Amino acid sequence: MKRTIVSFAGATLSLMAGSLVVLAAQAPGGAAPPRMPMSFFVTSVGLGKGGDLGGLAGADAQCQALATAAGSTKTWHAYLSTQARPGQPAINARERIGSGPWYNSKGGILAADQNELHGDTLEAAQQNNGMWKLSILNEKGQMIRGEAENGNVHDILTGSNTDGRAFADNADRTCNNWTSSTTGSVLVGHSDRMGGGNISWNSSEEVQGCSQEAFARAHGAGLFYCFAVN
Amino acid sequence: MRKIPMIVAALAATMAGSYFAYAQQGSPEHPMTFFITSAGMGDGGNFGGLKGADAYCQLLASRVGAGNKTWHAYLSTQERPGQPAINARDRIGAGPWYNAYGEMIARDLAHLHGDTLQLARLGNNITKLTNLTEKGQIVYGLGDFPDPQDGTIEYVSKTIYSNRHEVVTGSKPDGRAYTGTSVDYTCNNYTSNEAGTSGQAVRRNGMGAAMQVGMSDRNGGGNGSWNSAHSTGGCSQADVVRTHGQGKFYCFAIN
Repeated sequence: MKRTIVSFAGATLSLMAGSLVVLAAQAPGGAAPPRMPMSFFVTSVGLGKGGDLGGLAGADAQCQALATAAGSTKTWHAYLSTQARPGQPAINARERIGSGPWYNSKGGILAADQNELHGDTLEAAQQNNGMWKLSILNEKGQMIRGEAENGNVHDILTGSNTDGRAFADNADRTCNNWTSSTTGSVLVGHSDRMGGGNISWNSSEEVQGCSQEAFARAHGAGLFYCFAVN
Repeated sequence: MRKIPMIVAALAATMAGSYFAYAQQGSPEHPMTFFITSAGMGDGGNFGGLKGADAYCQLLASRVGAGNKTWHAYLSTQERPGQPAINARDRIGAGPWYNAYGEMIARDLAHLHGDTLQLARLGNNITKLTNLTEKGQIVYGLGDFPDPQDGTIEYVSKTIYSNRHEVVTGSKPDGRAYTGTSVDYTCNNYTSNEAGTSGQAVRRNGMGAAMQVGMSDRNGGGNGSWNSAHSTGGCSQADVVRTHGQGKFYCFAIN
């Protein structure tokens, strides 16, 4: 009973938040400072095949296509790690995304640099960054539905540790380096920074199974983060 | 367009009303040991010092049947001649702490504050949906019931339906007092209601009477920190309200 009511209230509040964003975007402002171009977004749609993104190349292409459709002229990479394989070293998501600063589709700053984004020092980690539910937007400027809302898809694929690096052991954390839509498991962050007992945006919990259905059960849609590298 | 907030406000009010009827403080296994004060004390940054703030925690807890525990306010004080600084984190016991639903918000002091790199990056379980008042209410935050007037004391005195996400801590992200500085982070150790000297809203540390606040919804304030996002614009109740606060603070049971 308690939960039902909270869910309802949460959904109501999120509707409000949605209208606020619209209002804010339309705010009259004579000499507003120029908006920084988008250099970060969550994919508005997944590729529809669970953890099979066509590898890093397929995921990068999805970032580029969505960004281009939204009017961006930058070069885009998916924030995804891959694990080491014979003859192939691991690839760390954090090393694929340039050096920042990164801005969302409304020009809001998310992090000034890698240290702020990943919390490389204890002080930076405790201070955290500008990534939160109202700032983690898709390329269309929409919030991602999260906890206590209908259609929660806050699980964002990363395959990464909290420091933005690949896992070093042999257990699958990347749906076989983004090629499996059936078996395997994957590390996700939460776009609303809640659920999973922590507030991590990039390494909150492990999801078992790599099918689109498995993702949906765990509150995901196979969405991932995209960063502009330039 | 203007109609929507009213309808939603009314709906939320109805929901909240029915919700209270079912609310239990904590669960049988996990009684409540953490809450945000459901209202401020009303005199800006003057809480009557730590003692007054602690008594307020105890009072609100007792009103919801949780007065059998000993409650302390999560507030740091700054050093004064003959008085060392006091750290908020040293005042709240060892945890784990549970909200009014019986949900754990942190296992221990290290989890609450992120004392190691991994703990700090992961964060604790304080979110908008778990960061509840003693009555089990969600504290309205960024994006809720937006209204251009909601930074004025007149508006806030008429409605609770506005962003009130600022929570006073007077603390750094690690839960400790600011030391070695003459900058006021605590409204003179929670005894001052002095008005701010400018109309500046936030981030005016070093410009006079002020106190450090966190964000109950972990949205906004530059970093979304639950305990140390930025400063108020002064210590009067009007100053506190102007930046979406109310003079609320966190209370923890130490036993």
